[in-house]
Amino acid sequence: MLTFSRTRLISVEPLDESTFLCHGLLDDYIYNMELDVEIKLPDFKITAISGKMKRITTSECQKAESKLKNAIGLSALSPDFEAKVKRIVGRQGCRHFADLLMECCDSVMQLVTYGDWQQVSTKDSAAKDAFWKKLLEGTPRLRNSCSAYVDNGPLIKRLGIKS
Amino acid sequence: MILSYTRNKQLTIRDLNGSVLSRASINDTFFEAEVELEVKVPELEVLSARGEIRRAFFPECRQAILLLDKVVSMRIGPGITRIIRDLIGGVNGCDRLADLAFECFDAVILRFTAEQMRSWKKPETPEEEFNLQVEYLKQNPRLLDSCIAFIEGSPFRPK
Repeated sequence: MLTFSRTRLISVEPLDESTFLCHGLLDDYIYNMELDVEIKLPDFKITAISGKMKRITTSECQKAESKLKNAIGLSALSPDFEAKVKRIVGRQGCRHFADLLMECCDSVMQLVTYGDWQQVSTKDSAAKDAFWKKLLEGTPRLRNSCSAYVDNGPLIKRLGIKS
Repeated sequence: MILSYTRNKQLTIRDLNGSVLSRASINDTFFEAEVELEVKVPELEVLSARGEIRRAFFPECRQAILLLDKVVSMRIGPGITRIIRDLIGGVNGCDRLADLAFECFDAVILRFTAEQMRSWKKPETPEEEFNLQVEYLKQNPRLLDSCIAFIEGSPFRPK
């Protein structure tokens, strides 16, 4: 039988061309909490955040809701974003809130990075290659971030992208 | 407005004979995958690992599944996040798969945390809660400074 389960549900709603509202929900055997976070482009900055803890383990946990505002102003593109969130939302508040917030920010980054894929995913390989070339040339943070995007890998070579 | 992106991430733990089966899966707008680890208890050693990438941008992404073999024989403990990231993620692997492997480890810890908490009697007074949490912290010293309940200034923090 199952002795533990956890579900994290994330949804991203575009508010305008450069603003996204992300809703995150965590529900497991121990905790239930949710977050609403507003993220603005171009630097993926957190501009508003609120959260609610519904099932917790101590009478102190609920105070972590007020620590969420520590994240306002942080940019998800910043190299120390994860460390900051873990410290000022996690250790000073709740680790599970911090994890949920990072999951929300990662979701918005995935959407913004690959959002145009929807228009080409069913097209021919030339259209797909044009998408990848434009994306990889215009998004330096993706380069060498995984085995598919490694310099001198088959994809980069095929697309003729210079190292 | 209509949603542009959704992510559903699920972790489950199933108890086996002398081990637990930890399963993490993700199904989002662009990617679908799962990782399953069998972990021996109480040693918390990985006995087997398997995974599947069902939907990804490139067929080559599925090669990353082979990296899961590297976690077999590992033990869940401090520093595991970095080790997993180095072994399965990064330039030679897939961060998405590494994240699922980490979630599997985390779920094992949470399974035993939940079991411990299940035996708690609901505290009726602040003093009862103080005693409960101080004892819990004593049994789990890794929690010291880990969250608002156990940082300096918290009523549950030993003087």
